[in-house]
Amino acid sequence: MSQLQARFFTENKRYIVDDVPFSIPGGSEVQDLTNCLNKLFFFKIDFFDFLVRGQFLRTALSTHMETEGISTEEVVEIEYVERITAPEPEECMMHDDWISAVHADAEWILTGSYDKTARIWSVEGKPVMTVAGHTEVVKDVTWVKRDGLTSLLLTASLDQTVLLWEWNSERNKVKARHCCRGHTGSVDTVSTDPTGTKFCSGSWDKMLKIWSAVPTDEADEVEEPGDRPRKKQKTQQLGLTRTPLMTLSGHNEAVSSVLWCDSEEVCSASWDHTIRVWDIETGVMKTTLTGSKVFNCISYSPLCRRLASGSTDRHIRLWDPRTKDGSLVLLSLTSHTGWVTAVKWAPLHEHQLVSGSLDNLVKLWDTRSCKAPLYDVAAHEDKVFCVDWTENGLMLSGGADNKLYTYRYSACQTDAGA
Amino acid sequence: MAACSSNSNMRREEQTEEKKKAREKSAKKRSKEEGDEGDEGEEIFSFKDKAAVDEEEDDDLSDSEDSVYSGLEDSGSDSDDEDDDDKDDNEEEEEEEDGSGNEDEEEDLKTETQQTGQTEQKKTTTMKKKKEGKEVTEEEKVNEYEHDSSDEEDIRNTVGNIPMEWYKDFPHIGYNLDGKKIYKPIRNKDELDEFLDKMENPEYWKTIHDKQTGRDIVLSDEQVDLVNRLQRGQFGDVNFNEYEPTVEFFTSDVMIHPVTNRPADKRSFIPSLIEKEKVSKMVHAIKMGWIKPRRVEDDSKGRYYDLWTGEDSSLVAKHKMHLPAPKIPLPSHQESYNPPPEYLFTDEERALWDQQDPSDRKLPFVPRKFSSLRQVPAFPRFIHERFERCLDLYLCPRQRKMRVNVNPEDLIPKLPKPKDLQPFPTTQSLVYRGHTGLIRSISVSPSGQWLASGSDDGSVRIWEVCSSRCMKTVQVGGAVKSISWNPNPAVCLLAVAVESVVLILSPSLGDKQVISATERLLSGQQEAETTEGEGPVSWIETEGEELNQGIHLKIQHAKAVQQVAWHAKGDYLASVMPDHSSHLQVLIHQLSRRRSQNPFRKNKGLVQCVSFHPIRPYFFVATQRCIRIYNLVKQEMTKKLQANSKWISSMDVHSSGDHVICGSYDCRLGWFDLDLSTKPYKMLRHHKKAVRGVAYHRSYPLFASASDDGSVIICHGTVYNDLLQNPLIVPVKVLKGHEITHDLGVLDVTFHPTQPWVFSSGADATVRLFT
Repeated sequence: MSQLQARFFTENKRYIVDDVPFSIPGGSEVQDLTNCLNKLFFFKIDFFDFLVRGQFLRTALSTHMETEGISTEEVVEIEYVERITAPEPEECMMHDDWISAVHADAEWILTGSYDKTARIWSVEGKPVMTVAGHTEVVKDVTWVKRDGLTSLLLTASLDQTVLLWEWNSERNKVKARHCCRGHTGSVDTVSTDPTGTKFCSGSWDKMLKIWSAVPTDEADEVEEPGDRPRKKQKTQQLGLTRTPLMTLSGHNEAVSSVLWCDSEEVCSASWDHTIRVWDIETGVMKTTLTGSKVFNCISYSPLCRRLASGSTDRHIRLWDPRTKDGSLVLLSLTSHTGWVTAVKWAPLHEHQLVSGSLDNLVKLWDTRSCKAPLYDVAAHEDKVFCVDWTENGLMLSGGADNKLYTYRYSACQTDAGA
Repeated sequence: MAACSSNSNMRREEQTEEKKKAREKSAKKRSKEEGDEGDEGEEIFSFKDKAAVDEEEDDDLSDSEDSVYSGLEDSGSDSDDEDDDDKDDNEEEEEEEDGSGNEDEEEDLKTETQQTGQTEQKKTTTMKKKKEGKEVTEEEKVNEYEHDSSDEEDIRNTVGNIPMEWYKDFPHIGYNLDGKKIYKPIRNKDELDEFLDKMENPEYWKTIHDKQTGRDIVLSDEQVDLVNRLQRGQFGDVNFNEYEPTVEFFTSDVMIHPVTNRPADKRSFIPSLIEKEKVSKMVHAIKMGWIKPRRVEDDSKGRYYDLWTGEDSSLVAKHKMHLPAPKIPLPSHQESYNPPPEYLFTDEERALWDQQDPSDRKLPFVPRKFSSLRQVPAFPRFIHERFERCLDLYLCPRQRKMRVNVNPEDLIPKLPKPKDLQPFPTTQSLVYRGHTGLIRSISVSPSGQWLASGSDDGSVRIWEVCSSRCMKTVQVGGAVKSISWNPNPAVCLLAVAVESVVLILSPSLGDKQVISATERLLSGQQEAETTEGEGPVSWIETEGEELNQGIHLKIQHAKAVQQVAWHAKGDYLASVMPDHSSHLQVLIHQLSRRRSQNPFRKNKGLVQCVSFHPIRPYFFVATQRCIRIYNLVKQEMTKKLQANSKWISSMDVHSSGDHVICGSYDCRLGWFDLDLSTKPYKMLRHHKKAVRGVAYHRSYPLFASASDDGSVIICHGTVYNDLLQNPLIVPVKVLKGHEITHDLGVLDVTFHPTQPWVFSSGADATVRLFT
């Protein structure tokens, strides 16, 4: 095997070596390169990963360069980073029924379940609170705001309502503040804006609705159909009725996922094979990204400004939501064998994302290694419906086996080192 | 003179006739019959007669002058003759007068005869005048004119040689010498007369029509004989000897004395100066190039010309298929005069060769060895061999074999590649587990959010499509044969066929307003319900536990219900109770008025399944072998589709309503184009076992078939709007996933209403979603 001229560099100051080209064998793999580096350091570290032109080295160096079309004549620049270690399973939180949604922040975990309730857990895995009130399956949950001990949270349900709850963590009391009515189909997704004052919901009835997330003490007027029995309505009432600020219609099929790109922009994915970007100020659609399959979920990373979508054809696709001219898939991540039901960018890492699928797997991806995921997390015994990250190194996934798993992942060494 | 001899002969003949007549006139003791005959002859050769008369007249004139000088005397006997003649003439005249009196019709003839009579009279008068002195000369004159060959026309009619059609429109046919009209016979013979004449008149064949006079003339035997002789190319005169010995004028012998004794001219042996001058002029002209000498034809190529150059090209083209004769193989060692010894026959070989039939012999000759080429004798079989070769070439027809080169690739129909026909379901995505018995029927809600399945375990389950979550389980207490979601999006209803009951079930899922509308619909008609007499079915309101489960209505049938099918509007519901003997197999229920009716009066066979047309008021009824389409408004059958299969199992109607697919238990799937034919447009035999269910997609050009072999086959079926283009059917995918349980595979198949997804239910108690 031929020798290659290589130069090692890193951005991690702890492991800097001299900027000198080395001659290394072309057949050397990750372990060989690590050994090579270890000789330079005079001490033994074996958690490096190597990047050649922004792609992880997974095969022999020469074959990698051949597939990537890199000339072997020049000096190869090899970047080395600390290897992302496998997420370690931490807790398993048993639910009574399938877990449809999860949203975690630094302290609390909020899950929605098919038993018509939402649950609040501590990050250690202790059940804290069960939020019951919906008459149907809870499809999505999200934290809105934390204000000291008082938190606002949202639960969206198949019963066509979104409930805004106020939860006091000290007294451990939950109170339904508002019942958001207006959808005529199951509310499948809900998302709060970055400021926590508004939220957006997407429903099976093809509509997106923008609501105020600020709890008030007065109910909005709802024009009820005259023939509806009033006593029935009374019993159903839980919290004050709230009506939407704005309705965005344009999707031809059920809306499966919404999110806020920033405080002015909402992005929605739908079963009509499109991702649409809406301007909230004016309430008009700005961009349509057209795919070929039903979109189940989307996630947006402000770090890399990319949109990741999971669809029924088993692919995770990365999009640039700012492209004006139609749809341009930047990258396809293919490894799942079932529908991708959940996808989430890492909150602190611009390259990492996690995905959950109907094939019972959770996969951790690095966009620099698009051929194969970094890790497969095979904890679930049934379909995975939801995944989430927290900023303090916790990864969560829940599914049809009624279990919510938390994993500890190595919290972004690159950022920590920088 | 000799050339004219025949002519003159003819004339002579005529003249003999004339002579005869003249003799008649001179009346040399002729019988009355002869006179008649002569009369006829006169009529036939009237112009001759005329001419003769004319001549006579002329003669008379000339006579009057000549006779003076001739001074010839005739014998007294002649004068007697003359007298007789006159007398005879008079008699004749009288006779003719009589004849004319008798035959009024032949006026023309009469006038003619009168005319002749007159001339004869005249003649006689003149003759009488001359009688005294010149009787003899007259006689001689007559004789003289017997030899006259003048070729005069018949001048009884003076119109001359004109087309007689000019007189077609006149009553007369011309003018006689006196300028009087010659009248046509009053009655012309028409075709019938002509025919009768032809049939009856034995003399018809020798009757000729004289245009000049318009009369029919019957030829005498002599005349017929003459005509015959002339036709045979013989002389007209019987007595004429055409082979008379020649009289030589000059002898062929050379005599010692020349005929003339004139000495030869000088110029005959002196070259001519004039000619010399002419020649020298021409030579000069040739030298000067003024005259080109005639080009000498180049004979080097031979003076043979190509016979076929001017041949028609089409003729040549005919011989394009000419095949050259196969060549005789070149002589080998065996034919050599001195072959290597191994080619020479041994005794056994020779004996064998001798015994063999000539056609069986390997070689047609015996190889022989000669010490030198000089000793090789003449080949004895040379002629024989050539002849056989010729026979081979001639008797063995050679023809060019036109081999049809068919590329096997071309026989495969040009179909688009499946990957170009995306989207269609390719992989199994979700499995809906929960049932414990085989699932006979599934149905998807019009919104595509819910899936209902009915199983033999006595339950109906309603699933969330996207998560495979069982949202609701309704125990119906019996095996569910068929389940169907109401296609009206404004209500949320299921029709479930359980044994002999059709349940109307409200699953209470989805939009609250829809649910309440459904419940209002179901409870609302309590007032609207009219109590009818004992109908074929009874509608039963449910209470208590069943109502809590969502079962609102029960339609109790007489027999087990096999299938339920909704109309596209969602108000009508058809149920099928297959029965061989009864006409009560199909019932149509109206949900809003809670009425049921039996649309058919006759049993046309065991009904397998029914379907409503998605747009028009048509109703499809599939029996074992055919599908009947009824117009519900006109209440008549509009079409009968022959399925070409033994037992139809399932049927689905395309969303346009113009196409029907039907699956059968003999593994076939038939596509009918209703605009095209009552026969299947296409039969697909992809399944190994009985086809249990077929389904069209509502919006995508897809259809699916489910079979007992455990597979679902997805086909692409584009339907074109223009009638000229037939549907394009391409099988695109075989979906496997169901396990075969008790020899049953996939029992039902249905498409998602909006996505290119297909659901299948199987005997393994699962429902599977393929996307």
